[in-house]
Amino acid sequence: MDYYLMQLVNGLSQGAIYALMAIGYATIVGVVGMVTFTHGEVIMIGAYAAFYAFSFFAENLFLGIITSFAASWLLGIVIYKVCYERFFDSPRHIPLICTIGFSMLIKNLAQIVFGPNMKAMPQPIDLGFINVLGVRINTIQILIIVIVISLSTILYIVNSKTRWGIQLRAVSQDKKASALMGINVQRTTMIGNCIGCGLGGVAGMLLAIYYQSILPTMGGVLGLKSFISSVLGGLTNIPAAALGGILIGVTENLGTAFLSNSYRDVFAFVFLVLVLIIKPEGISKKVGGRP
Amino acid sequence: MRKYLSIIMTVVLLTALLAGCSNAPDSGGSGDSDVYKFAVFAPITGNYAEYGKGFEVATQMAADEINAEGGIDGKEIVLEVFDTKGDPKESADISRRVTENDEYLAVIGDFSSSNAMANAPILGEAGIVQLSPTASHTDYAGMNEYMFSIMGRQDGEAPFFSTYLLQKYAGAEDVGVIYINNDWGKSAYDNFMLQTEKDGLNVVSEENYVEGEKDFTSLLTKVRDSNPDTLALIMHANDVALIANQVNQLGWDVNLTALGPGTSMQIIELAGENVERLLLSTPFFITEENEEAWAWSEEFKSRAGFEPTVHPAVAYDTVYLLKAAIENIEGDVTRDAVREELQNLDGFVGLTGPIKFNESGDITRKYLIMEIEDGKFIQKTEFDYVD
Amino acid sequence: MISNTFENVKKIYKKHAKIINIVLIILLLIIPRLMPNSYLMGIVCRILMYATLAGSLNIINGYSGQFNIGHAGFFLIGAYTEAILATTYGWSFWPAMIIAGIVTSIVGFLVSLPTLRLRGIYLAIVTLGFSEIIRIIALNWTDVTGGPMGIKGIPSPELFGFRISGPVDYYYIFLIVGILFLFITNRILKSRVGRSWISIREDELAAKSLGVEANRAKSANFMYGAFWAGIVGATYAPYYKFIASDMFTLDEGFNILAMVIIGGQGTLIGPFVGASIATLISEVFRFASQYRMVIYAILIIVMMWWRPQGLVGAYDSILAGDDKSLKKRKKSITQKVGDN
Repeated sequence: MDYYLMQLVNGLSQGAIYALMAIGYATIVGVVGMVTFTHGEVIMIGAYAAFYAFSFFAENLFLGIITSFAASWLLGIVIYKVCYERFFDSPRHIPLICTIGFSMLIKNLAQIVFGPNMKAMPQPIDLGFINVLGVRINTIQILIIVIVISLSTILYIVNSKTRWGIQLRAVSQDKKASALMGINVQRTTMIGNCIGCGLGGVAGMLLAIYYQSILPTMGGVLGLKSFISSVLGGLTNIPAAALGGILIGVTENLGTAFLSNSYRDVFAFVFLVLVLIIKPEGISKKVGGRP
Repeated sequence: MRKYLSIIMTVVLLTALLAGCSNAPDSGGSGDSDVYKFAVFAPITGNYAEYGKGFEVATQMAADEINAEGGIDGKEIVLEVFDTKGDPKESADISRRVTENDEYLAVIGDFSSSNAMANAPILGEAGIVQLSPTASHTDYAGMNEYMFSIMGRQDGEAPFFSTYLLQKYAGAEDVGVIYINNDWGKSAYDNFMLQTEKDGLNVVSEENYVEGEKDFTSLLTKVRDSNPDTLALIMHANDVALIANQVNQLGWDVNLTALGPGTSMQIIELAGENVERLLLSTPFFITEENEEAWAWSEEFKSRAGFEPTVHPAVAYDTVYLLKAAIENIEGDVTRDAVREELQNLDGFVGLTGPIKFNESGDITRKYLIMEIEDGKFIQKTEFDYVD
Repeated sequence: MISNTFENVKKIYKKHAKIINIVLIILLLIIPRLMPNSYLMGIVCRILMYATLAGSLNIINGYSGQFNIGHAGFFLIGAYTEAILATTYGWSFWPAMIIAGIVTSIVGFLVSLPTLRLRGIYLAIVTLGFSEIIRIIALNWTDVTGGPMGIKGIPSPELFGFRISGPVDYYYIFLIVGILFLFITNRILKSRVGRSWISIREDELAAKSLGVEANRAKSANFMYGAFWAGIVGATYAPYYKFIASDMFTLDEGFNILAMVIIGGQGTLIGPFVGASIATLISEVFRFASQYRMVIYAILIIVMMWWRPQGLVGAYDSILAGDDKSLKKRKKSITQKVGDN
């Protein structure tokens, strides 16, 4: 029994990272209204930003969070300018191809600039273990869950209480009406995109700490996982996307536990397809944006 | 105005494309130039770029060294690197391009077995040697007589690993095996399992993973549940480091052994203390005691910017192999003569140890046991080895 | 703009259709004689192969407006089916190719079942998932697919006792497949089935209300597109003589998709143009070494900025992304319907 509990904890902590990536993803899709394939590269850039901050300045967790958030925010501005700004009235496959091209660009540039090899990620916190009901949980897993929960809470507060958040939600529901209300739609959309990217960047840093390594090609699979998680949650619904991420993480780990590790990605996809067959809009009720 | 501009642009673009394409392969001359030219196939871009870069740097290092000492019989070695992106479709086209240009004496590469095997029929038909440092598919070298591989056959290393490293040296009893699910990992695993059966080694669990996996936590939790005293990792340096780190994160105290990464400082750099006491089998070692190899490793690091794994070391040897083969040729240096002498080459000792091809064109290496102590590789000899 | 050139070319073509067709076919037939360089022929073969493959994706994405981004999965099934039939069971190439097409189209039908309820990006993610699932199964099902070892020694096709191998000869197989594809597809598009696909693309609700059985048409569309992907996969396997699951990754699927969109969705000639451009760019910029893919990526983005509807994309469809065409469309609609 302990064994399955432990696998569940593994799934939860991995799912928490997926959740953070998915929250970022759902924010982007909700506000921008377009699907993106750059999220994996955003995550990678966030991880590298934290890596350089740790190497050159100090192995301080908050410094890492701030730099990775800022770097991904900046990348978000570029992505917005390159992939979205011109294409709001275009069919959705055009910005989609732009994001595929842009992700190729970033990945290949990263291989040239950062070097193609895997690097060791400095560890800002010490490894320790806590026993909860006979299940050993390590501090990194706890750290991940704490950071993910607090960032989601901050996002929730920003979204529901601040002027920015209200503007964001207005834009994600109806761009035209919000323009009539005097909201600067372009700027708000860009900020929404940047917030999503920033969250992705922090997720990248957490992943790099969790796996103690970074690699320029780490983004590919992760971008896909955040995409799956947010689709599972209904694409634009932020809490549901987080739930989707956790479910995907748990499914993968329990699938490995019960069956075989070699089919790991299959479990996630089969689970997703099953959910979509039963509920075509994912697990959430609300449908927004333009999926 | 804009209309005409865009028409002109399109026309210019198209002609440039066509011209660029048709000009490229004609840049060659006749065969008797005053240099020896080798084509290096490597994944410079794409997901294997890490290894491609290693290939590029290591082969260029060897060529520079040879040229600094006067080349081969006074002729310089020139390497031309072709990027294959790890895509067999591209590498097959590049192979055709190489076969049509008499200048290239031999091909070094490709990195992955998929590419090397897609190239094999083309290069074999044209009679040009493909000397792959790393292609380790069991069937690759036997595809035709021009195919060579120096990675070392897995029916050499895996049994050594099972009998000597695990059983006789480490005294392992219950072993959990984790292997990478690609052609190399699978054939190493198959050979390993055959030997464990003969040796009576108890394999309590066997798991594999798909290339590119980063999260081993659930896999390790699963293996841990079967209570092995030793983990046998059949994979490359990066993954060994990832697993060592995650074993530590689980707070699991288990003996680690590895087949495949070689004495790469990359492991120690990535996993630090977590790979202390890791045992591994390797055909050669790069340590401070081995001055020549250490100097090589330092030079590689300064050129590439990262620690060498086993791959650049074997890539480095391929250039010297070709040099040795060409020096043995009496008479004209042709592609066929290169093949002939490569096959018959005897007594060659490279950075990665002695290399002598068997009939199908691959080699069986001899292996050593190394252990990591205080962040250094130490050779272990106190076990009864029977050749 | 460039579209005028294409319009003019179209006009000239329509005037002298017969002569141009004959000249074109003769030209295509003698290309290998004019160009005995097998490296160039290899590239021409790759272009032809990708052209048909992108064309088969275009049937799904361009003509019925569904969104498939996992086309590499169908490609894989075709290639593996042919390879298994040819190596394990000793079939000759031609029947194996047909079976490969049929098997792939059955799989296409199965994939289309859950997708009938889904649209847009939900459909896309299901096809993407399907592509990954198929690849992982091919990697792990060692008894049948050879697992990570792949399948090697796939025999070359034979025709009247000739062994067809090497790009100069193999060119004709790719050419015949490509021409058959264009011919049959052209016929189908003009038939009732093809018109129902286009009507679904333009407006599914309207099409349904006019009596188009949307689900059946969509399934047929998926099956037909998958069929040709399977055929191309089957011709691919003996050409390279070795296949392994790492040749059919998601990146390959994105690559095919990019070709379709660069060339122009919803046109027969678009995928061909896209395949040529994408393949040529990646070959021509070889001198750029590690910057090659950077240039390729930048060119994709530039292409989307410059001509979002693709190089030869249609203006008169919902797929056209150009502002002007949209305005024109809206204008024509408002003229017909009146303002709201």
